[in-house]
Amino acid sequence: MKVSYNWLNTYFDGKLPPPEQVAEELTFHAWEIEEVIRVADDVVLDVKVLPDKAMWALSHRGIAKDLSTILDLPLTHDPLASVPALEPKTDTFTIKIDSPHCRRFAAARIQGVTVGPSPEWLRMALESIGQRSINNLVDASNYVMFDLGQPSHAFDAIKLPGDGIQVRQALPGETLAALDENEYTFSPEDTLISSLEGRALSIAGIKGGKDSGITEATTDIIIEVANWDPITTRKTAARLKLRSDASTRYENGIVPEMVPFGLQAVVRLILEVAGGAVTGYVDSALEIPEDIKTVTVTLAKVNRVLGLQLTVAKVMSIFDRFGWKYEMNGDTFIITPPFERTDLAIPEDIIEEVGRIYGYEHVAAITPDLTAPTTINRRFYYSEAVRDILVAQGFSEIYTSSFRASDQVKLHNALAADKGYLRSRLAENMKDALAKNAPNADLLGLKQISLFEIGTVFGKEQESYRLCLGIQSPSGYKPKSDGPILQAAWDALRSLLPDLPVLKQADLAAGICEIDLGETFASLPAPAAYGVSGQVLQVSYKPFSVYPAIARDIAMWVGSDVDEGEIADLLRTHAGSLCVRITLFDRFQKDEKISYAYRLVFQSKEKTLTDAEVNTIMDGVYQAVSQRGFTTR
Amino acid sequence: MEHQLGHKHPLTHIISEVNTIFAELGFVFVEGPELEETRYNFDLLNVPKDHPSRDMQDTFYIEGKPDVVLRTHTSPVQVRYMESHQPPIRIIVPGKVFRNEATDATHEAQFFQLEGLMIDKDVSLGHLKGTLEFFFSRFFGGSTEVRLRPSFFPFVEPGVEVDMRLTGADAPEKLRGRWIEIMGAGMVHPNVLRNAGIDPEVYQGFAFGMGMDRLAMMKYGIDDVRLFYTGDLRLVNQF
Repeated sequence: MKVSYNWLNTYFDGKLPPPEQVAEELTFHAWEIEEVIRVADDVVLDVKVLPDKAMWALSHRGIAKDLSTILDLPLTHDPLASVPALEPKTDTFTIKIDSPHCRRFAAARIQGVTVGPSPEWLRMALESIGQRSINNLVDASNYVMFDLGQPSHAFDAIKLPGDGIQVRQALPGETLAALDENEYTFSPEDTLISSLEGRALSIAGIKGGKDSGITEATTDIIIEVANWDPITTRKTAARLKLRSDASTRYENGIVPEMVPFGLQAVVRLILEVAGGAVTGYVDSALEIPEDIKTVTVTLAKVNRVLGLQLTVAKVMSIFDRFGWKYEMNGDTFIITPPFERTDLAIPEDIIEEVGRIYGYEHVAAITPDLTAPTTINRRFYYSEAVRDILVAQGFSEIYTSSFRASDQVKLHNALAADKGYLRSRLAENMKDALAKNAPNADLLGLKQISLFEIGTVFGKEQESYRLCLGIQSPSGYKPKSDGPILQAAWDALRSLLPDLPVLKQADLAAGICEIDLGETFASLPAPAAYGVSGQVLQVSYKPFSVYPAIARDIAMWVGSDVDEGEIADLLRTHAGSLCVRITLFDRFQKDEKISYAYRLVFQSKEKTLTDAEVNTIMDGVYQAVSQRGFTTR
Repeated sequence: MEHQLGHKHPLTHIISEVNTIFAELGFVFVEGPELEETRYNFDLLNVPKDHPSRDMQDTFYIEGKPDVVLRTHTSPVQVRYMESHQPPIRIIVPGKVFRNEATDATHEAQFFQLEGLMIDKDVSLGHLKGTLEFFFSRFFGGSTEVRLRPSFFPFVEPGVEVDMRLTGADAPEKLRGRWIEIMGAGMVHPNVLRNAGIDPEVYQGFAFGMGMDRLAMMKYGIDDVRLFYTGDLRLVNQF
């Protein structure tokens, strides 16, 4: 929620520390601050209020109250200090509640208001937090919503025939043109405020109707402040795809007891900015407020959970900073939470308050004792063994997407059309991956692309854990050259998995095979300890170029006394930094001479290289090779 | 020609290293289903239906099957494990999770999370700090400080965000010396313990959840999370 520093400061008579310090204190004791922005002579903090405290903290008063506790700086005034009387009551209008989802409904009739622009302080306060100023009545309502967290709505009394308001469920198919210029169609789950004649006026807790709102001609208003069931409000807002600042507060469970405070505040503000006089109040007070449930917590538990050694006195001082009512029984605290703080229900809730105010920086780190795990994970152990075997056979591991464009198990809410299903096999992704890597074989210095994936697939009835192997030559799968490699890898796996079936002819023909590992592993002996892991990998990833590579071969005869490394170095030096790969692909001896054949791959990070550019480099390489006394072929 | 070795995927290296380090503290490697029962993913973790808390994670649902979801976190395995084991408990749960959100260089619809859980008679936020400092120091090299900030997750209370700061010459230069937000954590909510058959009056402990793709990106200097799932050897063969 965006809050204005100046607005918060009205609770402290201007005595708040600078905005940056306020932001830091909130960050370490309450909520993350997502943004701090200077706006005119104010600073706006975007406070990341989370669902647990949203029933009281989506308001300047709520955040000011917490700042008061954090900074140990008392509020100069608290609008929630004493329950308003809402007098005099009036019977000049009636409220009829016919819905179980209305938890409280109160209203005031004000006569003789003048609708017009708001005073500058009100306009600036709303604009600082990104709200548009509309007119003095609407602005007063919005101000109280962002100040106390309590929404309200003003009706033009002329538009309420019979001088009354009704709360009821919508009729099937009933519609309303709302203030946002859209027309909404309701079902009986939706709660409406309507005239006594039955004409829909607003969507309860969410949005007012276009026609019942105030105009410049309005002089007589009914200002309504109510509380709505969080679950039904949320369901209606979701179904209509219509969320508002008001509905958010109801969804998060602002308490019905807030209604009289909101009504008193908005009435006072309306009288101040729009004039008029209060005829009287109506208050449904539907729910009989239960006594607020106390929360009991021991000092021992506070310290045991937080890892601290606080004294009773220290904890009491924190409760005092909160301004809570509490009783003591030895080392046991019995706290009566403030009426708006339904987030304080169990001992752990109190413990969190103590911890965050005292400061988590005081928690000392305790390292658990070194000990061996009681169980070795069988699936991980054998998966790693499978990986080790396949890596030794030259296969590299890929992870691919669990989503496919079409398969057995369909998603209800896919993110993209080509990711609407869950994969039932690994083979499809394997085929794609082989084809995608094939053009890069030279760049990678590979004769074949040999891949494996271990992962989960989803059938109609259950998920299973599988291994898939795949191989192809750059131009496609060649059974004669690629088949034996696949076969060799499969046979190597049999040393670990003795019950591995024979490789199917169909798989050998396609170059891809897949097997369920879950059952296979289940029949193996339970491992006693994890394999000794190799050296910890120290790699600094180098981003690869998106531009195409060009390959050139060079073959040469050299004397049998020449060190192979020297040849590679020579090539590397003269091929330069644009040469990203040098691969020896052939070597044979004839008499006293050895023939070496290398593939050089050139690629730029900035552009597509031309043949001419590469030819020039190769000219230099050939020259260097000749000068060294090697005979190129 | 010399026979060329293949390469394990960088995330495999991360999972293996994570397991090795936590195994020194006796943490057991546990796994759970990717297509998870809704009650394990939400209800038993104290995330009630029809509550804004459920909006904190964007979920993939299966057509016609409201009682399952693609798991949004590895936390459900906490409950599964606790249902069949009494404390003392130390587990890590590396696993694939799924979020229904738009993808970009730092967000993918699928990624790997690491859950941690430690339950006993006196396990506190202090043990959380100590366990994480031990892990990060070994994982990144150098030495680590951890700091906690107040936050909220429905399955813990108190809930915290964890920042870490690496110092020392062994720590990677790009990460050294500054506070980095690294994970969410907290003390397991008594409702979760109770739902799993463990008495919260007797036992307590911490849980944490962190993204392993992010750990890999930080450790290896990889700049785009989507690269992990393209099957591209130009990434994998560097490892």
